[in-house]
Amino acid sequence: MGDQHRVSRIDAALSQLFDSLLPADPATINDPTVLRWLDKLVHNARDSVHAGQEDVPAEVNSAQDLIRRKLLRENASPEKAARFSNLYSRLLSMPVLNQKWRILYLLHSLSENQFPVNGPRSPLAEIEQQKLSKQKVQQGYPRYYEKADSDHEEPPDRRTSVEPRAAVTSPKKAGLASTHEVRHDVTNSPTKPQIAETAAVPSELDLLRDLPFSMQGLSSKSYQFVSPTIVKLPSSLPIPIISLLHTLAEPCLLYKTLTVFVDAQDGGLVNQSLRAAISGELRSYLGLVATLEGEIRRALTAIEKGEDDKKSVRAAGVTLKRCVIWTRDATMGLRLMALIVEDSQRKRGGQIISLIHGLLASHGDPFVAGFAERLLAHVARPFYDILRHWIYDGELVDPFNEFFVVEADPMLKADVDPRRVAMSVWEDKYKLEAELVPSIMSDDFAKKVFLIGKSLNFIRNNCGDSDWVIHYSQANSKSLDYESTSHVNLSASIDAAYQTTMARLTHLMSNKFFLFTHMQALKRYLLLGQGDFIDLLVESLAPNLDRPAHSQYRHNLTAQLEHAVRHSNAQYDDPEVVRRLDARMIELNRNDTGWDCFTLEYKISPPCDVVITQWANTQYLKIFNVMLRVKRVEYSLNTTWRKCMTGARGVLSDIDEKLQGDWKNARCLVAEMVHFVNQLQYYILFEVVESAWATLQKTITRSDATLDDLIEAHTKYINTIVQKGLLASTAEREDGFLVQLHNMLKCMLNYREVVESLYSFSVAEYTKRQQSATRTEKRTAAGTSRASTPVVAGARGDRWSAMSDELAKDTGSPQLLPSHAGHDSTLLTGLRKRMSDLSNDYHTRINAFLYDLAHQPDVDLRFLGVVMNFNEAYKPVNPRRQKRKEKGKSSDVQSQAGVSRPASVVPTSDAGGRGEGSKAG
Amino acid sequence: MPSKESKREKAKEVVDILEEISILLDTDLDRAQLSLCVSLIENGVNPEALANAIKGLRREVKSNEKALQDIRPESSMSD
Repeated sequence: MGDQHRVSRIDAALSQLFDSLLPADPATINDPTVLRWLDKLVHNARDSVHAGQEDVPAEVNSAQDLIRRKLLRENASPEKAARFSNLYSRLLSMPVLNQKWRILYLLHSLSENQFPVNGPRSPLAEIEQQKLSKQKVQQGYPRYYEKADSDHEEPPDRRTSVEPRAAVTSPKKAGLASTHEVRHDVTNSPTKPQIAETAAVPSELDLLRDLPFSMQGLSSKSYQFVSPTIVKLPSSLPIPIISLLHTLAEPCLLYKTLTVFVDAQDGGLVNQSLRAAISGELRSYLGLVATLEGEIRRALTAIEKGEDDKKSVRAAGVTLKRCVIWTRDATMGLRLMALIVEDSQRKRGGQIISLIHGLLASHGDPFVAGFAERLLAHVARPFYDILRHWIYDGELVDPFNEFFVVEADPMLKADVDPRRVAMSVWEDKYKLEAELVPSIMSDDFAKKVFLIGKSLNFIRNNCGDSDWVIHYSQANSKSLDYESTSHVNLSASIDAAYQTTMARLTHLMSNKFFLFTHMQALKRYLLLGQGDFIDLLVESLAPNLDRPAHSQYRHNLTAQLEHAVRHSNAQYDDPEVVRRLDARMIELNRNDTGWDCFTLEYKISPPCDVVITQWANTQYLKIFNVMLRVKRVEYSLNTTWRKCMTGARGVLSDIDEKLQGDWKNARCLVAEMVHFVNQLQYYILFEVVESAWATLQKTITRSDATLDDLIEAHTKYINTIVQKGLLASTAEREDGFLVQLHNMLKCMLNYREVVESLYSFSVAEYTKRQQSATRTEKRTAAGTSRASTPVVAGARGDRWSAMSDELAKDTGSPQLLPSHAGHDSTLLTGLRKRMSDLSNDYHTRINAFLYDLAHQPDVDLRFLGVVMNFNEAYKPVNPRRQKRKEKGKSSDVQSQAGVSRPASVVPTSDAGGRGEGSKAG
Repeated sequence: MPSKESKREKAKEVVDILEEISILLDTDLDRAQLSLCVSLIENGVNPEALANAIKGLRREVKSNEKALQDIRPESSMSD
């Protein structure tokens, strides 16, 4: 009874349910066929319901798990599953329903996306996402395989869970019959918008037929390229086929992206060659596709001829799986190319080559290595072209700035002094850019290559030797290639080119442009190496230059210069050299005498001024200036000394008793000064200049000297001279060497003036005495006979007076009026005071100087100090300590630190050191 | 009676919960259909068979919807 009741209730409910599911209300429908069909539907439904009455599947009880898993699987976020768990717990707490499991199971089975045949939709969604994110596939292989694996994983899951259900997909995918069955089981409306086609599921033959087209990147009926990066597969296919199609779709997509790249036009030469290489590879890929197509066509025609679909397909031997295997290598190649293309978007020139070479050299997979080698041969070709031009012609033919030698931007050099043009031609015209050096070339090579090209360019443009360059390039230029020149060959040829070019350049510099001659001439004239010439010059210029600077005339100076040249050994010098000598006035200040403004000049013409730069010229002039001053002081001291000596034999002997002390002091001090000056000159000339010159010679006559070496050696040479010659530019300091030197020289000049005045004073004294003596003699002689003595006396007196007149004329200092005795004595005391002041000053200065010298790190400077103080007549005093002492303490401090050197070191410089010949290096 | 009312409330609550679950699972059942299904199951109908029947009906209707559309000129078949 209850059962019947129940059944009737069930029937009622069922009919209600089914009516609600039907699209139309049965009452309104008039068409009998439709009515009948609707009835049939309902009956079928009811029957199936009743039929399955007893059959309770085992999963009912685990419905909740099923649901939860399904929710987790299908949704990105776990929130739905969480909500479901929530709801489920609430449901459990309700006492209402008895059959919760079953209801849940019902819901679960009714929910969409449950059937495995719905599979195509979700993996397709995944694949779409994957293709979108394929742009940044760094490690193409593993990730893709992961995805593919996950694809393979899921279908078996679903399949087993649905196994007991009716009409499951057959594991065989080749059977056409099974595809038809599967079609019937395909569920209703997919939720995602799909291709418009609804009914026909492509068969495997269709898929195979369309495959070659899609592999060339063309859309076909089965595969449609929605965009260059996404291909849509038909949705209604079983999972295995879909996974195979995914594998097959990869080369299609890669091919499409690569064709896009290949057709692009921009980029430099290396990019274009990369495109060419890749298009070559793609062509071979197309060849493969053509073969595949041939195979497929053959198989299809065989199938169409045959009757039984299943067997004939299998017999023909062409299946999707086979295609996958056939295209595997090509796929890997395409993948690699896509990677390379990706990376090369951001790079240019040598970096691309480095990239491919990196793949070649450091990738473990031999397939990749072989592939990269093929590509490299193509891609490196424009690079080698540019290299060849650069090495053999010195020309940079680089329209896209891909080479690692770049020409400096001419805009930036707008403010360069035109005198610096030659230097900047060598140094600044080309620059080496390290980032663009490809890894097939080591850094050493890159430098060598850079140098070769620079030198060739230099030779061609600046040395005017383009004939040689052309000849050389014709003789030696061979096309460089990546394959033909293995690493060893390339390095050998670059080395050979390097040697030849450098040798030629040095040869040119020395022979055609007389670089070495010029350097030597500079040493002789500007560094006072040619002693006789300089002495003559100073002698003839001395009276002129004593006058103030603005009264000098240039023609005067040049005339004197000519005179000096003609009368010294310089006249035998190369006329080329003599031509370049010139005398000039520089920096006229108001109170300068001619000495301060005079300078010699040596003109250097390009291209030698690459080595002897403007800066070098300035340094030379500075050195010359200082040395000229020293020379001048030497000259004046010498003249004074001469006067003293000759005068001591004559004029001054008579007045010894009055001025003897002074004269002794004067002579001693002058001797000291002469000694000092001589030592200094000797030091500068021999210790400093000659030794530096010897180093320079050694460097530049080495057989493999390059122009860079020359420049560097020359700079070092000048720097050494400047530093060791006490000319270091710490001249701002109070007690720098240069300043000390200047002060001392000034002191000497002052002293010389004092001596001169003393001399003229003594001469005046003497004249006075002589005049009084002759007067008395005349008076006595007037008394006696005029026979013998007057002649003598007169002659003597005449001679004396004549001599004294001459002497008086000689001294340029103001004449002393002999008539004022009182004036004389004050003059004398003044003179004496000045003399003692100056001598004290001089002694202080030289003590400080010697102290400083003794504390120099350089051995040669210390040696100078020793030489100057060879008999330890001076006691070097630390000037700073002296000042401190004067401020605070009163104790006597004499720092003997520097001078505690054994005198045995000294004997080499004997007797005041006119040892010009003995020490020559 | 309170028990009856509470029972009705509880029933309503249960249906609410089930409706939420069915929405989560995207089963495309409205409330009436759902309550009918619940009563059917409570009465012992095999849930699997019922689900099959429902799905079959839906499928058939969908695949012949065009034909049906001719019958019903007024209402449109929304998809």
